[in-house]
Amino acid sequence: MEPKRNLDTLMSRYQAGDSAAVTALVEAVGPRLHRFFMAQSASRSDADDLLQETWLRIHRVRHTYRPGEPVLPWLYAIARRVRIDQYRRASRTTARERPLEEASELSAALPRQETHADDLETLLAPLSDGQREIIRMLKVAGMSLEEVAGATSCSVGSVKQKVHRAYRKLRDTMNAMGPQKGSSRGLP
Amino acid sequence: MTDDQVDKVLEKASGATPEVDPALLKRIADSINMSLRPVRPLPPPWALTGGLALICAVVAVAAAARAGFYGVEKLSLWERALIFSTLGILVWVTGKELVGQLTPGSRQNFSGTSLLATISASLLGVFALVFHDYRTDHFISAGIACLLTGVLLAVPAAFLSWLLLRRGFAVNSVAAGLVGGALAGLCGVTMLELHCSNFQALHVLVWHIAVVPVSAAAGAFAASTLRRP
Repeated sequence: MEPKRNLDTLMSRYQAGDSAAVTALVEAVGPRLHRFFMAQSASRSDADDLLQETWLRIHRVRHTYRPGEPVLPWLYAIARRVRIDQYRRASRTTARERPLEEASELSAALPRQETHADDLETLLAPLSDGQREIIRMLKVAGMSLEEVAGATSCSVGSVKQKVHRAYRKLRDTMNAMGPQKGSSRGLP
Repeated sequence: MTDDQVDKVLEKASGATPEVDPALLKRIADSINMSLRPVRPLPPPWALTGGLALICAVVAVAAAARAGFYGVEKLSLWERALIFSTLGILVWVTGKELVGQLTPGSRQNFSGTSLLATISASLLGVFALVFHDYRTDHFISAGIACLLTGVLLAVPAAFLSWLLLRRGFAVNSVAAGLVGGALAGLCGVTMLELHCSNFQALHVLVWHIAVVPVSAAAGAFAASTLRRP
């Protein structure tokens, strides 16, 4: 995982107009953001679109990053915004174009490789959306509690509480399944 | 199962996520590089917060100067100190929250609604301590006039605040609108405390304080209407 300070420096250089820093930053952070989107979007192509949209937004508002501050909360806050906007747009379109039952049938009919049923998401399935998002930021993106609080516009206390509840739920589910099964295949 | 074991399971599972296509990352980097130019970062938060506080003070004092300082002239020294120091603190805290709302990744100390509740409760406490005339002469007519004056004054304060913060980016535009409206409403309350000489407790407690939630609601509504997709 890229050291966080290095990412902060790359972002400052990006603001200064350094094209090498842009390439390095996109390569370092792009896969994490893509994984963040894969976790909740219907398909890889949706995640690709969201990633491109996020970088466009990042580029437009890059002046709002404050040099010296951690860049990950800043990036994830924008990524969350893009995902919410996309979700609202999709909801409006779906509501106008076809009934909900039909949409569910369509998504169920998607080929298996197009869905995002990877191991981590299977593990996190019993959690609420908010808990899943926070666990992903902490465990996949490697962010601190303070950084997650910044990215989600929550207090550190609220993040801690969500993590505590998520772990309790994960422990209970894993215990119910048995440790061997939980650690080798993920939860059903 | 312990938390450490849960950690290990999560760590193992997170490594299994499929990687992103390198060609996609290259395409993104290339498209950014095509329009890349240096940008000036936002000023530090204290400077923006100070700017917002200055806007509130200038707008409130200018409006009160035009309408007359009848209210502040009737107040005793300690009443002035108590009311205006409270308003000053609330303006600073709300301004700081607004700057945070317009800077992605900033930690928020209050949610929009809890900030509104804190402002209203603080003003209720201070005004209840200062004003003890419990008559209700012309309660509705005088109240609506004060509410309208405060809310109308919030409009230029909100506009000037927007000018100062226009380079910011709100990740939650409705919350930002609500906090911005509350700040503009505080400017309206400050002007009313300088100008309004109606010291009936219920008048001040109901109509003066109402300027803040009404402006905040208007700010949130405006933000949700103007929100870009």
